[in-house]
Amino acid sequence: MNKILLIIRREYLTRVRKRTFIISTILFPLLYLGLIFGTTYIATKGGSNLKVAVVDSSGYFDKGRVERENLLDSSTVLTLVSEQPDSLRANFKEMGYDGFLIIPANLNWEKGVKKIPLQSNNTMSNEGAAPVQAKLNRIWGSIKNEKLGIDETKKNILETSNIGLYPQNINDKSANSGVASGIGYVAGFLIYFILLLYGSQVMMGVMEEKTSRIAEVIVSSVKPFQLMLGKIIGISLVALTQFFLWIIFIFVIYNITKATGQSNATMNNMVGGVQEVFTSINVPLILFCFGFYLLGGFFFYASLYAAIGSAVNEDMREAQSLSFPITMLVIISIALMSAAMKDPTGPLAVWGSIIPFSSPIMMMARIPFGVPGTVPWWQLGLSMVSLVVGFILTTWFAGKIYRTGILMYGKKPTWKEMIKWAFRKN
Amino acid sequence: MPILELHHLRKYFATQKAVDDISLSIEKGQIFGLLGPNGAGKTTLIRMITGIFYPDEGEIIFDGKKFDPRNDISRIGYMPEERGLYKKMKIGEQTLYLAQLKGLGRAEATKKIKEWFERLDMQTWWNKKVEDLSKGMQQKLQFVTTVLHEPKLVILDEPFSGLDPVNTNLIKDEIYNLARNGATIIFSTHRMEQVEEICDHIVLVNRGKKILDGTVRQVKQDFKENLFRVNFSQAITAEHLAIHLFEVKQKGDRDVIIKVDPASTNNDVLHYFINKGLGIESFNEILPSLNEIFIRQVEGTPTSRQFQVVNS
Repeated sequence: MNKILLIIRREYLTRVRKRTFIISTILFPLLYLGLIFGTTYIATKGGSNLKVAVVDSSGYFDKGRVERENLLDSSTVLTLVSEQPDSLRANFKEMGYDGFLIIPANLNWEKGVKKIPLQSNNTMSNEGAAPVQAKLNRIWGSIKNEKLGIDETKKNILETSNIGLYPQNINDKSANSGVASGIGYVAGFLIYFILLLYGSQVMMGVMEEKTSRIAEVIVSSVKPFQLMLGKIIGISLVALTQFFLWIIFIFVIYNITKATGQSNATMNNMVGGVQEVFTSINVPLILFCFGFYLLGGFFFYASLYAAIGSAVNEDMREAQSLSFPITMLVIISIALMSAAMKDPTGPLAVWGSIIPFSSPIMMMARIPFGVPGTVPWWQLGLSMVSLVVGFILTTWFAGKIYRTGILMYGKKPTWKEMIKWAFRKN
Repeated sequence: MPILELHHLRKYFATQKAVDDISLSIEKGQIFGLLGPNGAGKTTLIRMITGIFYPDEGEIIFDGKKFDPRNDISRIGYMPEERGLYKKMKIGEQTLYLAQLKGLGRAEATKKIKEWFERLDMQTWWNKKVEDLSKGMQQKLQFVTTVLHEPKLVILDEPFSGLDPVNTNLIKDEIYNLARNGATIIFSTHRMEQVEEICDHIVLVNRGKKILDGTVRQVKQDFKENLFRVNFSQAITAEHLAIHLFEVKQKGDRDVIIKVDPASTNNDVLHYFINKGLGIESFNEILPSLNEIFIRQVEGTPTSRQFQVVNS
């Protein structure tokens, strides 16, 4: 036991002290910071104010209406001009406009018109033209309303009198599916990244021991199984450390941005949503489950990655081709998660979150929808038990392969041979 | 009392009888040579002694008791042929780690490492990384990590490969030193000149079976062919040598190599030459080198093992 602790300690310390660990730990929050400030910047500065000259040949548009709309929204400025189209085409740049459009004379208020070109001398995307179109339509709307005799009161009725619909689980009325699916996605993806990222670290670590030929030296002091387990636990602690540091960083950064007033509407919405969820869902349960499925899933997959690392030689490509089926399982889980989110109580979601290979990701995606509303206790229990049984089995299986593989040099074994190793007597 | 006894050890793999009924006994303080061509089963045998493999059959007695890998491996130091160290880890830290895995406490291990580093002139290495060392230096470090915990049984698989003559001598002296201080050394190699120089007792293994067992002296005696080299003070002719006492293997101007007939003694031969009036300058027995014995024993068997069907 003491020896496993020594191994865990070494695996943990050598990794945490590495430059790449420090860089990636710091870089991630910096990227996050950049994202917040970046989106804030883009949201305020976004889209240079387009100035568009409008030639109205139809006679529907009047200066008052256009100016009123300009006052309400300054992101684009429309100006009614009386130039001839040809002279406008030649001079709009000198006159200070980014582009111009000509309302055709045959415009009928009952029919509208499908396509008017917004003409400019650079290529503009549809998104670029969208604010101009929206503004034009708001003006056009007020023109139509006037023609139809719709006053402010009627207009309000038209715009605000709607029928809203929201999904409600009759077992758990407080569950908010919008925020729940958000949390589910985030939790599922985090587990997905950690499984792939740190799973391959386990594989590389085992390969390092094998190619540097230290494996046999060590297994003359400890059991191969202890060496494998120590490595997996050590690396899982590294993952947890990094994760924990990120949470602290994000918390600090969030508070800084809030204090300096840099947070924007999306951020506020998000925070509002999160706060709402914190009151409506069972936070300790979600955190506990996240920890459980993160570690359970990690042990499940990391031992398989360790087995592959022990079986191959120096060649990274060998490792990649052998680990492909394992990586595929993780990727399938995340693909199934997206499907399961749409129907979190359907058979795909239920069974996907019980079967161990996909349960770490899929169950985590379902839990925020509510326990026991969406996920009955028996499903959660069954899923947890089968994950524990699952990782004990994979660790046992991997340990057998590892024991043989780590001392075996030469050609790359096939999966069939590796399975044979697993069932061979000592 | 023997430190290690193997009784009818067997280990079969899917396609090979890697170790097929080997028994041997190693006395305390001996330097024991485990010889054999590549693929003879030496490594498998050693892996069973170090607790890495379990034997299919047979028994290992370590220091008078049945071998219990869990406790006994801390009293064994093993330097495998496929050896290595963590390349990116600092040397002091790494040596400490390996010593602790052998059950040494931190303080005790640190003290011992310092002593060894001083003795082998490695004090400046502590904060270097293994990748900064030359291959020979790595070998030296590897040797230190193998014997640091003062094992009773030290197993060295090709310990001199990659070492220059100076460091070879250095390690050789340390091996003698360990043996003098009561450790037993198993020395596995196929470099016969080193075996002849270092080992007291040898065992030759081929194709999973023991084919030779004895002291170096004894083995040489067993394989001698009664060959003698005789140097004369004068030229000799063919008539001088026409006698039933011996058979001429090779004749020079003033010297001859003869194979003495088992029915006659050395004195008979000397009498004969003296009676002929020949001046004898020297009369030496030619003992076979271990290398010759090795080749003779192993010759005729396939150099690399064939895959065989194992029914067990």
